[in-house]
Parts: sequence; C-alpha cells; structure tokens
Amino acid sequence: MDRIFEFFFKYRPLVFEQGDFTFAAPGTVRMWLIAAGVVGAAAVASYTVARAKSTVFDRGIMAGLRVALFALLVFCLLQPALILSTVVPQQNFVGVLIDDSQSMLLLDESGTPRTSFLQDAFTPDESELLTALSDRFVLRFFRFSDVASRIDGPGDLTFDGTHTDLGGALDAAREELSGVPLSGLILITDGAHNSDRPLTESLVPLQAAGVPVFTVGLGEEVVAPDIEMGRVEIPRSVLEGSALVVDVVVTQIGLGRRTVPIIVEDDLKILAEETVDLGPDGEPVVARISLKLEGEGPRRIHFRIPPQSGERVERNNARTVQIEVRGEREKILYLEGEPRFELKFMRRAVADDENIQLVILQRTAEGKFLRLEISDSTELQFGFPASREELYHYRSLIIGSVEASFFAHDQLQMIADFVSERGGGLLMLGGRSAFAEGGWAGTPVEEVMPVVLGEPAGGEEGFFAEIVVKPTPAGLAHAAVQLGEDGEGVSERWDSLPPVTIVNPISEVRLGATALLTGTSPDLPDDQVVLAFQRYGRGKSIAMTVQDSWLWQMIPALEDQSHETFWKQVLRWLIDGVPESVEVVTDQEQVEPGESVRLIATVGDSTYIEVNDASVTARITSPSGLIEEVPVEWTVERDGEYVVEFRPSELGEYEVEITAERDGNTLGSDRTYLYTAASDEEYFGANRHTQTLRRIADETGGQFYTPEDVASLPDDIRITGAGVTLVEQMALWDMPFLFFLMLTLMGAEWGFRRLRGLV
Amino acid sequence: MRLTCKASSTLAVFAVSLSVGACEPLADALEEPTQFVSPGSELMAQQAPQVQRPTASGARGPRMDPSEASGRWPFYWTRAAYSGYGRGGWGRGGSWATDFPKGDRQFLFVLKRLVRLDAHDWENAVSLADPVLRRFPVIYMVEPGYMDMTDSEVAGLRRFLDAGGFLIVDDFWGMREWNVFEYNMRRVYPERPIVDIRLDHKIYSAYYDIEEVKQVPAIGFTRRGSTAECWGCEPEVKGMYDDEGRLMVIINFNTDLGDAWEWAEDPSYPLQYSTYAYEMGANMIVYAMSH
Repeated sequence: MDRIFEFFFKYRPLVFEQGDFTFAAPGTVRMWLIAAGVVGAAAVASYTVARAKSTVFDRGIMAGLRVALFALLVFCLLQPALILSTVVPQQNFVGVLIDDSQSMLLLDESGTPRTSFLQDAFTPDESELLTALSDRFVLRFFRFSDVASRIDGPGDLTFDGTHTDLGGALDAAREELSGVPLSGLILITDGAHNSDRPLTESLVPLQAAGVPVFTVGLGEEVVAPDIEMGRVEIPRSVLEGSALVVDVVVTQIGLGRRTVPIIVEDDLKILAEETVDLGPDGEPVVARISLKLEGEGPRRIHFRIPPQSGERVERNNARTVQIEVRGEREKILYLEGEPRFELKFMRRAVADDENIQLVILQRTAEGKFLRLEISDSTELQFGFPASREELYHYRSLIIGSVEASFFAHDQLQMIADFVSERGGGLLMLGGRSAFAEGGWAGTPVEEVMPVVLGEPAGGEEGFFAEIVVKPTPAGLAHAAVQLGEDGEGVSERWDSLPPVTIVNPISEVRLGATALLTGTSPDLPDDQVVLAFQRYGRGKSIAMTVQDSWLWQMIPALEDQSHETFWKQVLRWLIDGVPESVEVVTDQEQVEPGESVRLIATVGDSTYIEVNDASVTARITSPSGLIEEVPVEWTVERDGEYVVEFRPSELGEYEVEITAERDGNTLGSDRTYLYTAASDEEYFGANRHTQTLRRIADETGGQFYTPEDVASLPDDIRITGAGVTLVEQMALWDMPFLFFLMLTLMGAEWGFRRLRGLV
Repeated sequence: MRLTCKASSTLAVFAVSLSVGACEPLADALEEPTQFVSPGSELMAQQAPQVQRPTASGARGPRMDPSEASGRWPFYWTRAAYSGYGRGGWGRGGSWATDFPKGDRQFLFVLKRLVRLDAHDWENAVSLADPVLRRFPVIYMVEPGYMDMTDSEVAGLRRFLDAGGFLIVDDFWGMREWNVFEYNMRRVYPERPIVDIRLDHKIYSAYYDIEEVKQVPAIGFTRRGSTAECWGCEPEVKGMYDDEGRLMVIINFNTDLGDAWEWAEDPSYPLQYSTYAYEMGANMIVYAMSH
C-alpha cells in the first residue's frame, strides 16, 4: 500500500505526516490568486461568448473543467513543498533494543526461529538494513528480557531470558542515551510483555523527551495449533482439609473443540484429574476442579494438560501455583438464643474438624448461658463479649435465633465493625428471633447482612413454610455448596435432600450480594433466599435462612454426608481469608533468583486499628538455611502498611517471618513463603503482540514494522525531527498524481465535447 | 395455641404455683368439651386450651394432628410409641402411654417456664417404626419393662439413634423389667455396652447442678411413705454411647420421673421429688439439644 502511495505522491505517507506544507514560489499568495482569477475569468468568458450550438449546461461543465485545470496549473506554479527536519548524518544516535528472551527461539510454521530476522537484518557488511542505519546514525545495541543492558551487537544475545519487560527496556535505553542526540529507539521483539509494571509509565517520559520508538514485531499473529493454560485461580492459603474449587482457564487455537484432561498433582502424587471441553478457536473456557489439600505447610501444585499431537508450544500447557495449607485451629463464636437442634447438629458436623473450634454460647434462660468448647473458665463468663478486644479474639461469629434487642446498641455496632474493620466472618441463621422477625431491621447489623429484610411476617402465629433447596448457578460453582467429594453432580445431590423449613421469608439479596442456594415452596410467591453472602468492608457476611438444616442429617440415608460436608465447608469458608492483626504477603508468589520482590506487612493492634509506629522485622530464611533479618519500614502512604524489598539469590523455598512490636510489646507475627524458580512465562501468549507494539509506536510518534516492510525504517527515522537536524524542503509540484489529474481534466473536457457533439 | 403464666422465679415456687392455678389460659382458648377424666384433669382443663386432641387409642399411638405441621416448632416433646403388653395411661394404648398425655403436657408447660425453649405446646406420640420419628431428635420412652418391639420398631429406633437422635428412658423397676428392656435394646444394638452415668457427667450440670440421683416415686407409693416399687432397688442413671463417644441414650432406672411431672401440682406429692424430676428433665433436654 505504501508503495502505491509513494508512486503517486512521490513520498511515503510518513513524510506527509511529519512535514509541514508550504508554497515555495516567489511573490505573495494574493498576487497568485489574482492572476489565477484573471485567467479563470477569461476562460469562463470565452465559453460564455462562443456559444455555437452548446447549451448553458454544456458551457457550465466545460467552463468548470477548464477552470479546474487552470487552478491545478496555478497550484503547481506556486511550487508546493513539504518542510521537514531531517537528521544530520552520523550526528545522531539510535538505540536498537533486541528481545533476548526464550520466546525468540520459538519456531514459526516453516520451522524458522524468530531470531533469523536478526541474522538477516544485522549481519555486518551483508545486511542492507544495518548498512542503511549505520550510514545515517550512530547505533547503540541493547539486549533486554527482565532487565536491559548494553551489548556490542546482536552477536552477544543468548535468548535465555525468562521474562520480558518492555517498559523496563525502554527506560534503560532512554536513560543510557539521555546525554546524546537521540533520533529514536528501535524495539525488536515479539511484543510479549509479562511484567506487572504498566507500559504507560515508560511511554510518558519518552513522549516528554520527544523520542520516537520504532517497533519491529517478530513472530506470527496466531500460533496454531496450540493449547494454553491461561491462568489458575486458587487462594494463597487454605485451611488443611478444606474443599477447594479451582478455576483453570484454557484456550485452544486450531485444535478443534475436543475434550482434554487436566491433571493436578503435587510433588508426590496426583491430587485430581478432570476433563475440559475446549471452546472455539481463541475462546477461553473455565475448567472447575475440586480438590482437598492435606498436610500443613507450603505446597506447590502443578496443573497440566498432556501435549496434543502437532502442538506448536507445549510448555504453555502447564502452570504451577503455590498455596499455604494452614493447620491452625480457628475460633468461631456461635451465639444461640435458645436450645435448638441446629446447634447440636452443627457441632456434630464439625466435631472432627481439627481446624475449627466452635465455641458455643447458648442462652438457656434469661441471663443464663451454656458455654461449650471454651478455652478456659473465664472465656465468655459474662456472656456475649462487651468489648472489641474480646469479640475480635474470634475469627468469625455465628448468630442463631437471637433477637436484636438482646444486644446493647454498642454491641450491635461492634458486630458490624467486627465484619467491616476486623475482617471477620458473620453468619446469621434462620429462626423465630432472626432477621426481620427478630427485630434486626434498622440496626447497624442490618447493613452487614447480604439479604434485604422486609416487615416481620406471619403475625403472632409466625410465618412457616416448607421449602425444597436448590443451588443457584453461582452456587453450582461455589466451593461451599459442593456436597460431593469430587464436585460431581452438585444439583443431583441437592435434589436428593429432604425439604427443610423457614420462618423468615426472604426473597431478595442486597445489591452486590450473591445467592448460592434458593428454596421453592407453594406457600411462597417468590423463591426463598437460603444461602447468600456479600463482602462487607474487610470481611464477609453470610445468611443461612433455614431453621432446621439438621433434617439433612436425620432424614437421609446414614451414609449420606451432605449435612456434615455442607457445614464443614460453610464454616471453613466463613473463616477463610479472615485477617490477623499482623500479616505479611509478598507481591509475587514466585520469582526468579535475583528478581526483586516486595514484602508487604499490615500491622494493627488488638482492635485491628492500624499502627504506624511499630518496629517491624522480617526474618528471611533461604532454602539453604541462611537467615537474614531486615527492618520493614512504614510506607507513609497507607496506615499500618510496612514494606521492604529484597532479592532472593537461591533456587527453592524462602520462609519469611515478620514480627511487629511497639513499646516493647509484641503486636503479632506472621509467616509466608516465597518460591524462586525459573519461569515459563515466555511460552504463554507466545504470538506476536501487534497491538502492543503499535501502541508503543503510536504513542511515541514512531512506526510499527514487520520484517517484510522494515526496509523503510532508516529513512523514516531520518525525518522524525528528533536529534540534531537540518530543515529540508521537499518539492511536491512534480508529484505524478498532479500530472495524472491534469491529463484527466483535459481528457474529460475533450470526452464531454465528443459526447455532446461539440467537436 | 400457647399458654400464658405469671412469672415465678424458682422451680419450687413454680411447682407450688401449679397447684394453686397461677397460670391462665389464653383469652382465645376454644370452649370445647374436655376429654380428660383422670385426677388433676380439672386443673389441666384450666391450664390448657380445651381442644379435641388425638387420643392414645392403640398400641401404635396417635398421629399428630395434620394441621400441626411437624417442623413448625423447633422442639416437640415426643413420646416413643412401641409395641408391648403393658397397660397404658388412662387404660388405653400400650405401656408406652403411661402418664400420657397429662404428664407430657405438664412437663412441657413447666419446661417452657424454666428453659427458654420454643416448643410445641402439646404432646406428640410417634411410633418407633414411623419414619417421621426422625423429625424429632429427642424422644421419651416409659415403662420399657413391658415393651416387645416389632422388627420394624427395632430398625426404626436404631436408624433414629444412628442418625443422631437422643432417647430418654424412664419408669421401669427391678431386674425383671430391666431384663425386658435390655433384651429389647440388644435387638437394637447387640454389642453396645450400657454404662453408668456418674455424677461428674456434664448432663448433671447442663442446666441445673444436680449433686445426687434421687429415686422419684410414683404418686401411689408416696402415699404409702415409700419411693421404691421393688424391694431394695436403688435409682440408677445409665446410658449408651455412640462410636464417637457421644451419649445417645439416657436410662433412668428404678425411678419414675414421669409421675413426678404428672403429679407435681398435687399437694400430696413431695416437692423434693418433683423438683428433682423437673431439674433432671431440663438438664436432659438442654444436653440432648446441644451435644
């Protein structure tokens, strides 16, 4: 296309984009316009006077064509031209940035690696491109993958980088060449950018400095046939034995809609095997895999799809994730307003769960409580906690059939804060004194609930309905309501359970809340919301509106474990992700040796109020056992947040333990793990990322090329105006297009005359 | 229908209050003829809404009024109806119906005053062979010394207990009745041991602190100045545990808590026994609903 344009208009489009239009003829524009007017008027007059047998229409057309011809002549006599700044040969520098990552070794369909372009384009004394560039500019070569560095030439490249950071490469080259006249940067890459840092951060300084980036995209737009495991969504930590539902995103191109297995394994054994039906070309599908992790400590879980016949890239068929299996015993406080079987059977359901301590506070009469599973005789000795310190001691709170008036207003606010500030989980159960029927509407806790409370239903007798419970589409995908060990047949399992009853009709969830289970009954105009949840502040709240889920234990066959499974999963979900007052995470789960990683600690006191004046220390134990202690500093930008950066140097598992102290008192400690290993990131998204490369060029005033059209690159850099330049005038009057236009106008007039019989 | 009653602060005061009729029926109580003919029925007639109830008309017991949906209330005081050869309360039904329904109604009435319990106000007798039994996780069984369970009742009771149900056994005396009971329980669980429930067990402190197991006499024996219905027999509390060590059957042997519940309002019935019986009853219910 550019060649056709150049044939007609003498120059390539970039010249017109970069240049300023002008007329080079002597004299003023007004003088030339007057002359053109006189000649045009004479032409019109000649047609007006010499009427012959022509009509007014004929004369109008012919006069118009003749005037246009004269106007074109006048335009050429005005000597139109483009004014451009062109670089002074050998006075300017150009940085050539070459991708040195593993993906450059990928073969195209014909079996040629992406690196072959470099051989063709940058072999000294042989390559036209290199010669053209060298004639005009002083070249500086850089290699880049995760970091960028200067090299003497393409011969120094090794193509063993495991990450590609385009932004980092542009930053490094810009800074390195900041002291010299720089005409532009040439970025030669497949465009895969797998750094977390946004590209915009690197493009803005280039725009400000007026440095154009000319991108050369290598590789194919589509690599096919191929399967790619896009991502694996899994929490960073989980309680030992918890049911996990992991989403694995899989995309295929060119293999057709076939079914392939996904194998999940740790270092010792296969944990699960699931099949996934692949979608249409390029359309990701989500495979949902249920698994259970036993054994406390950090674990690496591998997900892989066996390579399919003819696949172009096999290393993007697998992902490895890290997860910490926690073995702590987490405390949940269950307040029940009266003796109820719901309490008995929930206790039984989780009795053998070593990770859950279900502390019971059951009101048996006014002012009289039964305490069970307490840690010592002082726990809850005065009933429901009256202070934040006491309540925040628990990770989650279950409120059974307890009327709101049981609590003081401060306690109600404290429960709301327990969720929003402490980040605890709140579960409210159905019952005669729960929800609207228990007077919870209008209390601070109402806002926390994931369901909308209406007016109390049923009058003095109370409302009552028997319902059949089913999972919603969201519920089918949620770990908490999977009843089977393997996640199979979720709907069928729920269909097999007996009906249960409700006394709190609730048909609506709050905006932003999600219903996982609903119930139907002939006595209800709308479906009953049975299990719903929402995030609220730092925590989450769950509503379970059934009053007798214990029927799922008493009625089904003895071997049916639905009741136990359901409550174990719900209670584990309730405590999952509940923060401690002191916590530490890393900004990346896995890095390579030498790669920087940030430790981010959040520090609060016993009431979870952020602390900014703590003394925080990170104790880092390397895989070989070397221990390093580093102080972690408050970020200032965010209350209670402390950060330190470090670079692991060994391959393997690092343990990071932080301790926070204030005034000699320990506020808390936490531990996390970091794994260092070689990365396969380069094999994911291994096609050419044209869009990214175009964006870089467009936003900096450069151009995007492929190996097929890169020959014009040296000329294009010459006219970008960056560096040491000269002003150059490029004549346009002799553009072939103008000549063809004149011929067309003359031919049109002659043809018209012939057509109308005027010759 | 629910009963209203003026508040009494202690069990003893409450027991006395029964005898002086401190409780009043709801204003909307139906005025239908009563069917009660036993001693104390006049008092019960004052206390309870006078509606026609199913009677203990057969060995398999009455069924709940269909209008009273099972599950509406969190708790139903449920009596286990079994096959046997003894006589029942009011001369109708089997031995399972001893003290039925007055004892049940009166126990519920007092229990709801003592414990914050959202309970159905009426008796609820269900056959052990009826699958609906599993909707009532606590059942009460009396006079098992006269029981002779059918195979379906044996299977029903085992299924009930295995699922997590709790059985309270009461009112049988002497080794002959014990043997009958044990024979029947061995049909349910051939191997599971029956063990003593000692005073350090948590059931004795689930609600009231009980420091002594008393022999609660039937009302007829109190008039004779005796507590035991058999020569030299001592009260015992025994139990059966499930495989996880959870108590699932409590056996009140050589004692008759049910009679104390039934006759607590009778001025001649000794207060110490009715007080103990209600305390033990409250403890068993609270324990069974939380463990």
